[in-house]
Amino acid sequence: MAKATKPLYSSLDEWADVQPLDQYEKVNPLAPIFYTDEYKDATSYFRGIVKSDEMSPRVLDLTEHIIRLNPAHYTAWQYRYRTLMNIKAPLDVELKLMDELAVKYLKTYQVWHHRRLILTETRDPQRELAFVEESLREDTKNYHTWSHRQWVLSHFNDSDLWRGELDFLDTMFNQDIRNNSAWHHRFFVVFQSGVREGEEDRERVVRRELTFTKQNISFAPNNPSAWNYLRGVLEFNKLPFSTLTTFVFPYTQPTDPEAVDLVDLDNPPPSKQAELPCPAAIEFLADIYESEGGESLLKANQLWKSLADEHDTMRKRYWEYRIKESLQKGSA
Amino acid sequence: MPPLARAAHASHSLRCVTGLPDSLVDVDASRLALSFYCIGSLDILDVLNEKVNTITRNEWRKWFWEQQTSGPHGSGFKPSSFMTGQGPASEFEESSPEYSCPHVIMTYTALLSLAILRDNFAGLDRPGIVAFLRGCQREDGSFRTTPQGTESDLRTVYCAFAISSMLNDWSGVDVDRAKAFIALCRTYEGGYGQEPSCEAQGGTTYTAIASLYLVPRSEGEEPLTAAEREQTIRWLSSNQDESGGFRGRTGKAADACYCFWCGASLRILGRDDLVNGLALVKFLDSCQFKFGGISKAPGEHPDPYHTYLSLAAIAMYPPPLGESGSNASWHLAPIDPLLNATQATARWIRDHVP
Repeated sequence: MAKATKPLYSSLDEWADVQPLDQYEKVNPLAPIFYTDEYKDATSYFRGIVKSDEMSPRVLDLTEHIIRLNPAHYTAWQYRYRTLMNIKAPLDVELKLMDELAVKYLKTYQVWHHRRLILTETRDPQRELAFVEESLREDTKNYHTWSHRQWVLSHFNDSDLWRGELDFLDTMFNQDIRNNSAWHHRFFVVFQSGVREGEEDRERVVRRELTFTKQNISFAPNNPSAWNYLRGVLEFNKLPFSTLTTFVFPYTQPTDPEAVDLVDLDNPPPSKQAELPCPAAIEFLADIYESEGGESLLKANQLWKSLADEHDTMRKRYWEYRIKESLQKGSA
Repeated sequence: MPPLARAAHASHSLRCVTGLPDSLVDVDASRLALSFYCIGSLDILDVLNEKVNTITRNEWRKWFWEQQTSGPHGSGFKPSSFMTGQGPASEFEESSPEYSCPHVIMTYTALLSLAILRDNFAGLDRPGIVAFLRGCQREDGSFRTTPQGTESDLRTVYCAFAISSMLNDWSGVDVDRAKAFIALCRTYEGGYGQEPSCEAQGGTTYTAIASLYLVPRSEGEEPLTAAEREQTIRWLSSNQDESGGFRGRTGKAADACYCFWCGASLRILGRDDLVNGLALVKFLDSCQFKFGGISKAPGEHPDPYHTYLSLAAIAMYPPPLGESGSNASWHLAPIDPLLNATQATARWIRDHVP
């Protein structure tokens, strides 16, 4: 990057008509930043531009320059956006620039926010989902990137956009089945964004989701994201956890060296390499016993005790709390 | 436990308040918040008066008051003078009010900072702040960061609620609409995402929970249903991983700041007894940087944000005092989990805001 050689605005003839405005610093400031000359110069010209309310193509150069030095300069972003609208700048060019900046400043809120504003104007989201997929390669769990995808889908709510989401998620899960952002996105797509064509048969959809999750748990049982998803599907659809007792039970037992590989789509067993018992399965089974109440509470208590003392000692206090709560409820 | 490096953390905070290298230029538009983390660390360590003399403290107060700005959209605090030009102080702001305007997050951190500095708040434009909040709230109940801005999410809802609570005046916010927005951010995991349809995250879950519990309510009224509450407690507690630290999202690595966000949420929900406090403190111990400051994870570089939040987490979950007074260095000023300040500072602001 030609950072060091970029001439200061104060040395350029084409900026000579702008009255730069230095930053006010009278009172001893807190946490002052030792700005570079480049930043000081650029922001002085920016304050000058804002004061005179100039909206012109060179403002785009100036704000881009400041954004590259400080991508969190929200005023530069705001003013840039106003200028783009005011001079009717070509927004496809702006979006191209944003493709570069989004990846460069992946963790900066403003980069993504500006992109939203531009898309709201162009109303053309066709290449957005591919762009998100591309930038997720840099950081597969980036919060802003996933939020952007969720925003694009719900804002435009176009069936062409929604159509490929489950395939896209398959790609993400193939890379990392423990990516909670992908699990969350699946819940959003399947359950929390309306019912789309081909998905009207909700019972079938729920069955499909349960099968999908159970399969994934059988490949990698100690995956809290999958267990949370399983709970989410059941709770959202008001299905009791006990519908999955047969599936869950083998995961609460020690590894069985005698086990033979079974193909059971409804209740896929743990894979041979699985580390068992699985604490999330024990928790799940204890929840089933707790909801049965009566005699079963004792069984729930034993499971919580095994979590507290053996399988999940970091959260000992949480499991003891569950025991105490259930005893109180039981005696009430 | 080895002792907490209190003096080194105080020095780190003082160093950052004194000046930041150019490599941190991206905090230019949030310098006030960063200053709050530094001063807040000194407050939790209870060394502000000892390390900073009266003259300097007064200068600091003056600087915070200089960031209070008024315009057509009410009054509040701006992040710094990053958009303020030289010349008569008001000239620039009058010509371009929307570019030097108050910011909700900065207003929240400025009020806390002034309380830490034990200001009398005589200069506070109370009706202006209420008008400012009103101007920031959107149709969907969320708040913009600035009256003419377009960014809004759960963080700003929390700041608006905290400001209303500090002023003891809720007329600037439509509480029901804001609560509806918060409810939309809740996810199937039991936490809250930054905006509707986003993944559950520790920091935004704190802002949701703290907001709901800041609103004045009648006796016996609960902000969450029993089932919601248990689900949130479960999710929060499941974020304490084998390192002893808390993670912000399911499956991610632990990060010092979530020891506060998740730990404070559990405390608000009355279930701080579920945290493995000793494991949490041991994790934060390993995040201490050898030259002062606390980083997000062992081996990383420290910053004021992680230093402040780690100290606040330690203050809530101190290791037990040994008989010979061991672990005493880990006992810090008690914290008000709803406002995210020491209890003494929270009390000060409630007593002194006119």
